[in-house]
Amino acid sequence: MTVFVGIVDLDMSNLRSVANAVSAVGYDSRIVRKPQELEGVSHLILPGVGSFGVAMAHMRAQELYEPIRAFAAAGKPVLGICLGMQLLSSSGDEGGPSDGLGLVAGRVVRIDPAKVPAIPHVGWNEVRIKRDHPVFAKVKTGVDFYFVHSFNFGCERAEDLLGVAGYGDVDVTAIVGKGSVLGFQFHPEKSQANGLRLLENFCDWDGRC
Amino acid sequence: MTTTRDPLPVHKSSGPTCGSCRQGCAVDLVRCTRCGLPETYETIEFDAQGVCNICRQNEFKKEQVDWAARGNEFAALVEQYRGKHDYDCIIPYSGGKDSTFTLYHMVKEYKVKPLVVQFNHGFMRPNLLKNNERTFKALGVDVLSFTPNWRVVRRVMLEALIRKGDFCWHCHTGIFSYPMHVSIKFNVPFIVWGEPSSEYTAYYDYRDNEIEEVDETRFNRFINLGITAEDMAGMIKKDFDFDPRDLAPYTYPPMRDLKRIKCRSVCLGSFIPWDARKQSELITKELGWQGDQVEGMPWSAWPYEKIECYMQGVRDYIKFLKRGYSRTSQMTALDLRNKRTTKDQADLLVRDFEGRKPPSLKLFLDYLSITEEQFHEIVLATVVPPHKPDFATIGDAPQTWDYDHWYREKQPLK
Repeated sequence: MTVFVGIVDLDMSNLRSVANAVSAVGYDSRIVRKPQELEGVSHLILPGVGSFGVAMAHMRAQELYEPIRAFAAAGKPVLGICLGMQLLSSSGDEGGPSDGLGLVAGRVVRIDPAKVPAIPHVGWNEVRIKRDHPVFAKVKTGVDFYFVHSFNFGCERAEDLLGVAGYGDVDVTAIVGKGSVLGFQFHPEKSQANGLRLLENFCDWDGRC
Repeated sequence: MTTTRDPLPVHKSSGPTCGSCRQGCAVDLVRCTRCGLPETYETIEFDAQGVCNICRQNEFKKEQVDWAARGNEFAALVEQYRGKHDYDCIIPYSGGKDSTFTLYHMVKEYKVKPLVVQFNHGFMRPNLLKNNERTFKALGVDVLSFTPNWRVVRRVMLEALIRKGDFCWHCHTGIFSYPMHVSIKFNVPFIVWGEPSSEYTAYYDYRDNEIEEVDETRFNRFINLGITAEDMAGMIKKDFDFDPRDLAPYTYPPMRDLKRIKCRSVCLGSFIPWDARKQSELITKELGWQGDQVEGMPWSAWPYEKIECYMQGVRDYIKFLKRGYSRTSQMTALDLRNKRTTKDQADLLVRDFEGRKPPSLKLFLDYLSITEEQFHEIVLATVVPPHKPDFATIGDAPQTWDYDHWYREKQPLK
């Protein structure tokens, strides 16, 4: 398997830190802004900063919605990071209700402010891994990753929820996964050694569980 | 060469004591009730019984690490890399007991074809060179040796001594970075080191039950004293003329380059229970490897220890001045942990041999172009409290047999 990472640019994200992290773990990447740029890509990363509704609108305008779904349907590895993870869902409330990619069943809603100290949930937090996955190799449960988010991914199917982080009275969804699709609510590219390990493992992954 | 007699060092006076040693130390230090290591030892902590964490992690090593599983893990690792590149692995090699055993073990037990990589720190001793030739020829291995620019070595030794009270920066950074560069250049992504640091410090604790990866994290954690090659360049450029590339051997290669070749760098001692004494006996028997006299140590107790560098005596002497203990204490601590000696015997050796001024200090001062007074001033600035050195009561260590063979510097450092 020749690994070549595509990093989706929805014209609103900070891509440089993700591209740098992919480079640091030894792999080459390309920014993907249009469908043709998926050619030759083995692994797709959907980074994300911004709002759910706007991101989905950009994805459709750039004609990437169906190609990304087809990429995942072919069993190729897809990783959503932060907002990118939320876009994997069925739908999201941020910026008004919108459909997501529908790759992992669930709805993204605002974290209940009554149950947490503050919104956004920002900083380092422990992630408890709930299910084994090839991408978690050599990463222990209970280690810290860096979060910045105000919305939470509610999984429809318990088996898609792979990791959580306790925040106030809420267990926020930290990792989702289904088939060749994986999502991290935290930023692996900003999470030091453990984050880089996850990114390296993702690039080494063939999409099978 | 003989190592049959242990001439006692010259004592100047009985002086104040710190419980174990007789001289050179002006305060009592808290010590581990089991191994005797003092509170000034790197990474040490004591529990409610007064036993140190180094002792506790070694208990874990003996009683709780699943060495059979570790052995299987290592065998699988060797197979993962076997036959895929020009060499099956790189073995960084000084010629001391640990790297010689590692090379022997990998060739004999695992039948690998290794590339032996040697970083010459500049102070290799005659007996070591003979050992190396004998070992390389007996085992039939390819060897790559690298010697860095001596003029630069002198200057960075001085800088590291001034800033950290540890002149061995060039040696330690070079030893741990150069083989990584070779790994990339020769595309040999498996590197096997010898002794894990958990044997003697707690930067990596056996109780974490993890494999100690010999990587950039470890390099920055304690190998490079917190001084990168880029830092060093900035520190010396004000008064020293050099090419920035002169410091390349001391840089750690980019993570990306190591990841691209899927480099794995581990200690053999993470997979088999390390036993320096037994392993030394084995290489002596199988390879004719010979121990040596080392300044400031009793010559018959541990003839296998630290024979690879004729500045070892200075290193150990500085350690004593800074921290109030030295190599003899470290060795008696190991023997006490392994129940190979008694506290009384250990105390006697420490009292008689530790903290004496080595003859090599004179050579060292010439390398750095400093006087002994300047040396004292520099070292005093890096003393680890509550230890206080007492220069007035320090005696002299005897010369080793090869002292006259060691390099003399006639040119001032500039």
